[in-house]
Amino acid sequence: MAQEVKLFEDMRNAVMYGKRDALKELIQQAFKEGRPPMSMLEALVPAMHEVGDKYERGDFYLPQMMIAARAMSEGLALLKPHLAANQTKPKGKAVIGTVKGDYHDIGKNIVKMILEAGQFEVVDLGVDVSPEKFVAAVKEEKPRFVLMSALLTLTIANMEKTINALSEAGLREQVKVGVGGAPLSQRYADRIGGDFYGKDAPEALRKCEQLV
Amino acid sequence: MTALRRGVPDRVPWIENWIDIDLQVRLMAGRVDYDPGELCRRLGMSAFGHTYPSGKKTGPTLIQSLRDRKEAYYYPKTVDFDFTPPWIAETATDEEGRTHIRKGLLTSKDSLALFDEFLPDPDHKARYEQVARWIEQYREDFAVFARIRLGTINMLESLGIDRFAFMVFDEPDLVKEVHRRFSEWTARVVEHLNKMDFDFIWSADDMADNRGPWMSPEMYYEFFYPYQKMVADAIKKPWVFHSDGNLTPILDGLLSLGMSGIHPIQPEAMDISSVKRKYGHRVCILGNISVDKLSIGTPEEVENEVRERISSVGPGGGYIISSSNTLTSYMKTENVLAMAEAIKNYGKYPLPSTQPSR
Repeated sequence: MAQEVKLFEDMRNAVMYGKRDALKELIQQAFKEGRPPMSMLEALVPAMHEVGDKYERGDFYLPQMMIAARAMSEGLALLKPHLAANQTKPKGKAVIGTVKGDYHDIGKNIVKMILEAGQFEVVDLGVDVSPEKFVAAVKEEKPRFVLMSALLTLTIANMEKTINALSEAGLREQVKVGVGGAPLSQRYADRIGGDFYGKDAPEALRKCEQLV
Repeated sequence: MTALRRGVPDRVPWIENWIDIDLQVRLMAGRVDYDPGELCRRLGMSAFGHTYPSGKKTGPTLIQSLRDRKEAYYYPKTVDFDFTPPWIAETATDEEGRTHIRKGLLTSKDSLALFDEFLPDPDHKARYEQVARWIEQYREDFAVFARIRLGTINMLESLGIDRFAFMVFDEPDLVKEVHRRFSEWTARVVEHLNKMDFDFIWSADDMADNRGPWMSPEMYYEFFYPYQKMVADAIKKPWVFHSDGNLTPILDGLLSLGMSGIHPIQPEAMDISSVKRKYGHRVCILGNISVDKLSIGTPEEVENEVRERISSVGPGGGYIISSSNTLTSYMKTENVLAMAEAIKNYGKYPLPSTQPSR
């Protein structure tokens, strides 16, 4: 038991510090020892929350968060073939995009990476995404979340247009809409009829987990 | 210049890093043939260093080949004081003429060969000679600045910020080499700029977001500082450093580069009054009228913000008022004019009391 606790703690630390090679070896060791894949998955999941906490406290910066997310994603990929379908079902599905007229994608890309590491399925619509394209994606992908990013004050108006387009298409009640980006705030999210504002990627993950 | 040297001038100066051409033309009532000094007088600005339409209609100008881009750099067709290195990236221009980066092209050690393809010759005389003529022709009583980059944002965008985040661990030497090459190019350019009649230099590099820098302080000192210092040490004129975002964790390191001024102290990320109190004895503070207010606010909100900033940051001098980023085409013309009027009304030293006028 103590041996398992130590092994799983080492796996979590490997994720936290982005040691993907070490994580791979530890997962292989765990398989050799007959550890159930589901218990390995459950052991890893808290790691991304700890990474998010460290990032928000200022102990981790962007590179540390990114390599942790990468390690987590690679760990999940190793576990997936050994898990039953219902054990690997994503927690939820999100479509994400930078709104029309805006080409900034770094925030969107980081959120996508953190959500995937947090076991969400993410459909990336890219940049300069029109309200019509968001609506089409919701019809096709049937996500739980529509996540919109913008960096320019000019383009945040397109978030409200997208929300209105979802309402007109009769899709608004089916999804939770999250917004993020430098000019955004919870107050703005409320004003335009959004469900939440995520100040950073870890908060986006938390909100999606709460609202799924 | 008095303010940039942390003195008390007769008025709070107003300087902008960049003004979108579309906004310039609206401010000049549709004209495209004005001199830099005319725009400065229209707004009450103290310095110029931007690109001007120079009699040409505005609109996207797509330059296709790298050879054409170098030729356009050596032989500028519009009045321009820009000496920033190009992105080594795939770029595109949207329907409103704004260029954006689609993806960085520096993906590996082999891709370093792209530096020779993308970067112009920093010693090619033509651009310096043309800009020297423009300085002489347009200066009047204004300060003139050259725009450069220390190389940081070029490294980040030419790698891609997300690729940078991985490469810091996977290929640290490549990250350093990319920054070194951009900074070395700029340092060479600066040697020429030092000999020209510029009053100061404005360096625009982004390295943070609202939360904080994109790198830890330890990473800053290893991957950024040595190369930024390469350029800083080459600069022999007063200079301004620009980065958006919350720079607090690395501010002491940044200030040791020896800039004369720091911009914009982004209001969503840092408190300009605190920065003035803590660092105003070391550096001139430039900023930070909110781009959001200028874009979607009212003239009254802009006036109030200008009055508040001048009263809280202006005392003692060492302050230059500016937007919190640049003046963009999507700002309301009336708001920019309201900013100009408010600076004129509230920016004369000794400064008015802090009591609101209404």
